[in-house]
Amino acid sequence: MARSRLETVGSVFSRTRDLIRAGVLNEKPLWFDIYNAFPPLREPVFRRPRLRYGKAKAAIQDILYPEDRIRAFVEKYIELQKLGETDEEKLFVETGKALLAAGVILRRVEARTQKEGGHVSWESEPTGVKPQTVLEKNQPLQEVPQDQHLETSEEQPKGLSPP
Amino acid sequence: MVPAATVPRLLGAGVWPRPLRPHLLQSATPGRARPGGRTLASAATPAVSEPEDSIDVSDKILSQPLKHSDFFNVKELFSVRSLFDARVHLGHKAGCRHRFMEPYIFGSRLGQDIIDLEQTAAHLQLALNFMAHVAYRKGIILFVGRNRQFSHLIETTARNCGEYAHTRYFKGGLLTNAPLLLGPMVRLPDLIIFLHTLNNVFEPHVAVRDAAKMHIPTVGVVDTNCNPCLITYPIPGNDDSPPSIHLFCRLFQTTINRAKQKRRQMEALYRLQGPEGLGARGQGLAASPSLGA
Repeated sequence: MARSRLETVGSVFSRTRDLIRAGVLNEKPLWFDIYNAFPPLREPVFRRPRLRYGKAKAAIQDILYPEDRIRAFVEKYIELQKLGETDEEKLFVETGKALLAAGVILRRVEARTQKEGGHVSWESEPTGVKPQTVLEKNQPLQEVPQDQHLETSEEQPKGLSPP
Repeated sequence: MVPAATVPRLLGAGVWPRPLRPHLLQSATPGRARPGGRTLASAATPAVSEPEDSIDVSDKILSQPLKHSDFFNVKELFSVRSLFDARVHLGHKAGCRHRFMEPYIFGSRLGQDIIDLEQTAAHLQLALNFMAHVAYRKGIILFVGRNRQFSHLIETTARNCGEYAHTRYFKGGLLTNAPLLLGPMVRLPDLIIFLHTLNNVFEPHVAVRDAAKMHIPTVGVVDTNCNPCLITYPIPGNDDSPPSIHLFCRLFQTTINRAKQKRRQMEALYRLQGPEGLGARGQGLAASPSLGA
């Protein structure tokens, strides 16, 4: 039974096919016709795994949802609150600044809170940013920031109450 | 309990020459047998009178399934939803990622790689189809997996299919030096199915490279830390969670049993028909690929 034990040269199929064509292999193996009829999506050729050098990075993106933005804000807010800060306005600003320092994710949110100022805009801001379908999923999440500033806010969050 | 004849097939360090028909191994051609020759030898029906008719029948039996795109209807066995429910999409952390698995990865959720199930479904369909055709042609299938958690499951799966399994330490020259380790006239497997491509030290299993050396096609479940290059029909998917491995074992078992049953059906069909009516009636009856549920 003729075989070429060169697994690094071509695929199993290409080697077998060439051996048959050369007349070295007399009988077709069982799987040959099946592979011919249904080849795989990628030919199983050997590739040497090379390391990535320098700044080359894999092209795999992070999976992030809109609620991750809210989660980040809430976590930072609670963290800053634990440090002893009580004034809400200040807490918002500090949270925004801290998140901006961490990454550019909340830049839009932070810019709008600073631009319009006060918690009046903050209540309406998430509804403006998020689409309706995402909002319905976010109801339980948005309850948390609501509970936080219910006692101090003069405006009730009409925009966020369930329709 | 386990019948004594089947025990040596599964246990031990990869002892898988079929002990039930040792005389065939000497009488048949060494190594790989011709498809036509093997059908003639194993069918063993006295109805096969003239060689021309029997060769024609065996050719028809073997060539007909290749004309359909999904002769064994493997598509109905799974769906993207069922793969998701079995947690097939969960990969390892981003630090463990193998470079060649990147095309099959959908994205990374908080550091954990998520495998793209659309691609997995396509790969799985091809792999199951190939497996079914090999089983239909009476090929020997060897299940390999080195994760000790699922070792028993893989062995029982192989037993239920009537095929072979090797989930223990893989000795060096088992495939490449088979005549020395296993005996002179030993038929090597026609397909190796890997439930786990890595061994216990997280290196590629030796059988992957050896199967490529010995011209044996492979089907394998590749996780995000595995190298899918040398595997003929890789299936990107989770190989660590119990639901995922249970699903794969169930799929493989169903496919192989289905293919074998189909083979028995086709042989019975052509045997009943005899030399006449091989043309039209055979085509009409064999055109329905799905088996009765």
